[in-house]
Amino acid sequence: MFSQSSLAGLSATGSALAFPDVWRASELAVSRVRTCASGHPGLDSVLPNRGWPRSSMIELLLRQGGIGEMQLLKPVLASLSGGQFIAMVQPPWIPHAMACQTWGIEPRRLLWIRPSSSAEALWTTEQILKNGGCGAVILWQSQVRAESLRRLNLAVQSTDTCFWFVRPLACASEASPAPLRLALRPAVGGVMVDIIKRRGPALDAPFWIPLTDQPVSRFSKSTPDVADTVVPLPAADPARNPATTLV
Amino acid sequence: MVVEANQVVALSSEARLGGVRIGMRAAGVAAIAPHTVILERSLEQERVALDAIAMALLQFTPEVAFADDCSLTMNVTASLRLFGGVRALCRQITAAVLALGFTARLGAAPSAMGAWLLARAERSRNRPLRRRVLRHASLVRQLDYLPCPLLPGAAQFAAWFSGIGARDLASLRRLPRAGLLRRTSKELLENLDRAYGDAVDMFDWIKTPAVFSARIETFDRIELAESLLLGATSLILQMTGWLVAQQRAIRRFSLALEHERGRTAIAPTLLEIALAEPAWQHPHLIRLLRERLAKTDLVAPVIALRLDARDLVALQPPTESLFPEPGGSPADFARLLELLTARLGSDNVLTPACQADHRPEVCNTWVPVTGKPATAQVEAAALARPFWLLPQPLALLVREDRPFYGSPLRLISGPERIEAGWWNDQIAARDYFVAQANDHSCYWIYLERTQAARWFLHGLYG
Repeated sequence: MFSQSSLAGLSATGSALAFPDVWRASELAVSRVRTCASGHPGLDSVLPNRGWPRSSMIELLLRQGGIGEMQLLKPVLASLSGGQFIAMVQPPWIPHAMACQTWGIEPRRLLWIRPSSSAEALWTTEQILKNGGCGAVILWQSQVRAESLRRLNLAVQSTDTCFWFVRPLACASEASPAPLRLALRPAVGGVMVDIIKRRGPALDAPFWIPLTDQPVSRFSKSTPDVADTVVPLPAADPARNPATTLV
Repeated sequence: MVVEANQVVALSSEARLGGVRIGMRAAGVAAIAPHTVILERSLEQERVALDAIAMALLQFTPEVAFADDCSLTMNVTASLRLFGGVRALCRQITAAVLALGFTARLGAAPSAMGAWLLARAERSRNRPLRRRVLRHASLVRQLDYLPCPLLPGAAQFAAWFSGIGARDLASLRRLPRAGLLRRTSKELLENLDRAYGDAVDMFDWIKTPAVFSARIETFDRIELAESLLLGATSLILQMTGWLVAQQRAIRRFSLALEHERGRTAIAPTLLEIALAEPAWQHPHLIRLLRERLAKTDLVAPVIALRLDARDLVALQPPTESLFPEPGGSPADFARLLELLTARLGSDNVLTPACQADHRPEVCNTWVPVTGKPATAQVEAAALARPFWLLPQPLALLVREDRPFYGSPLRLISGPERIEAGWWNDQIAARDYFVAQANDHSCYWIYLERTQAARWFLHGLYG
C-alpha cells in the first residue's frame, strides 16, 4: 500500500513512467495503438501517438468534396501502397489513377468499389475490414445510422487496417463512436483542420495544414493569416500544472 | 413419426410428448395424437440420404464403408491428428451431418464392431455409457455391460439367452465357445470376436465416382431463391467430401435449378460459378453461392437442385510459412475479391488500367479486378492532375464573363491544350485550366474548342 508521501513523489517524477494506465485530461493520450505517420508534421503533433491510428475508425468531415482530403491522406497512402491494397468504397467521383501515380501511390494497389446502395457499401466495408487484406479502406457515406457506425467501429478494431470514413460536415453534431474526428475546410494552399474529437484535450481553434501539391495561385499569399495565430497544443506537455481543459 | 408395416419405427420428441411410443400401431397413434404427421418409411430415400452422408464424410477420411442398419463405418486412425483429436473430429462430423439436415449418433472405439455397438447402445439409468473409447481395455469394460440382443445375429436367440441368464456380452463370452457355436450361429461368434477386437474386420470401402453430379429434391415448390440455400449447402458439402477424397480442387461448378417437368416443362436455370483460385473449402463455396442466389430471380418454382463439378485441378496444399503474413494470405484476399464480385457484380470491383492517351477520360480506364491484369505500364507524366474526375463533364454557367460554380472561378494556372481523338471521330479539343473558387477550393475546368466555346468542369483537386 502506498503512503501519502510516496504517491506525491511518484506524481511529481513520472509523466509516463509511473502509471502508464493513468491519463490526465491536460495531456494527449498515449496508448498502445499502432499509428502510421500522417506525413504532415503539423497534423502529427496534435494526433495521439503522433499519427493516424490503425485499427480504429477515423472520421473526416468535409464541408464539400474535393477540397484536399485525398492530398491529406496522400503520404500515408503512398507508404501503404508499397505492399498493401487500398480500397475506396463508393467515392463520389472517379478516382484518377494518373494522379495517384504522380503522387507515388502504386495504381495497381488501388481498388475502386462501386456498391449500388448504402447498405451494400456498409456490407462491403465490413467484409474488407474482416478480411484484413487491405492496408487502408476509405468509405464515403452521407447518411449512416448509429448502429451501423458502431458495427463498423467494432469490425475495424479486430484488424490492422487504416479506416477513414468520409462524411459531410453536417454530421459533426451527431454522436459517433469514432475515437478521432476531423473536420476539413478549404483554405489557400492547404486545408483547415478542426479536431472535433480526439483522445486528449479539445483543441480551441482550427489549424492550417499546407498541402504541397495543391495548385496555388501565383498572385495569392503562400500562407493564410489564420496560420499565424494558431498555436497547436504540443503532444508532450512539459507544464503539468496549468488548468486542464476537460473533453 | 415414421411407420413401417403399420408399426411406429421412429418418432420426433414432440410425438413422444404426445404419448406416441415405438411399436405402436398407426391407428392407435391417430387415436392418441390426432395431429401427428404419419410418414411411410421409404428405403429408397434412406439409401439416397446415406449416400449423401457418406459422400460428405469423405472429407474426414478416405475410408468410409456402409454398415448394417443405416450406419456408416469410418476408419479415422490416420485423421485423428489432422483434425485435432477424437473429440474435435467427432464434433466436426456431427456438425457436417447436421448441415446436411440429419442427426447422427457417433461411437468411437478401437474396433469397428465395438464402435457400432456403442453408437447403437441405449443409455441405461444405473450405468453411465461412454460412446467414445480410445483404449482396448476401456472398450472391453464398456462392451461387457451391453445387452446381448444388441449384437447383430443375436436377436433370434434373445429368449434363450435370458433363459440361461446371459444378460450382457460379458456373460455371453464366459460361456464355452464350442457349446455356443453348436447352439447359436457362427456369425454371432464372429461378430462377438470382432467387437472385442479378437478377429480382424474386413471392409468394403466405398469408391468415389470419377465425375461428381449430385441432385436433391426440395420438399416443396420453392419460389424464393434464398430458400434454396439449405439444399445447395448439402450439395456443396457432398462435393467437398468428394473433392477431398479425389485430392482435387474445383475451379468452376454449376448449380441447375430444375423447374416444372411434364407438359409445361421449363428449362432449368443454370448458375455458373467460376473461381479465381481453385478451392475446396465449403464455407467459401457456400458464401459465394449465397451471394449468387440472393441476386437470382426465379422464373418459376424450383422442385430440384443439381450440382455439377465442371473444372477441376489437382489440389495444391498450402505452403506454410514460419511467420504468418500480416493482413492475411494472398489467397484470403483473392477470396475476398471473389466474394465482392459475386455480390456486387464484376463491373463494380475495379482496378486501374492506365492507357497512354492524353484525354483524361480515356487515360483513366478502370477494369474489373478479376479480369486479366493489365500488363502495359504507363509512364507517369509530371503533370498535376486532379484526383477526382467527374463521370460526365459538367457544363458551367458563365456570369460576368467568368465560369461560375458556387462562386465565380478565378483561373490560376493554364492553359494546357489537349487535342486528341481525331483518328476515331471522338475528337476532344480542350484548353484546361486550374480554377479557384472564393473558398479556395480548386477545380479543373476546360474550355471546349470544337463547337461554341463553353466551360466545363471536369475534375476536382481532392
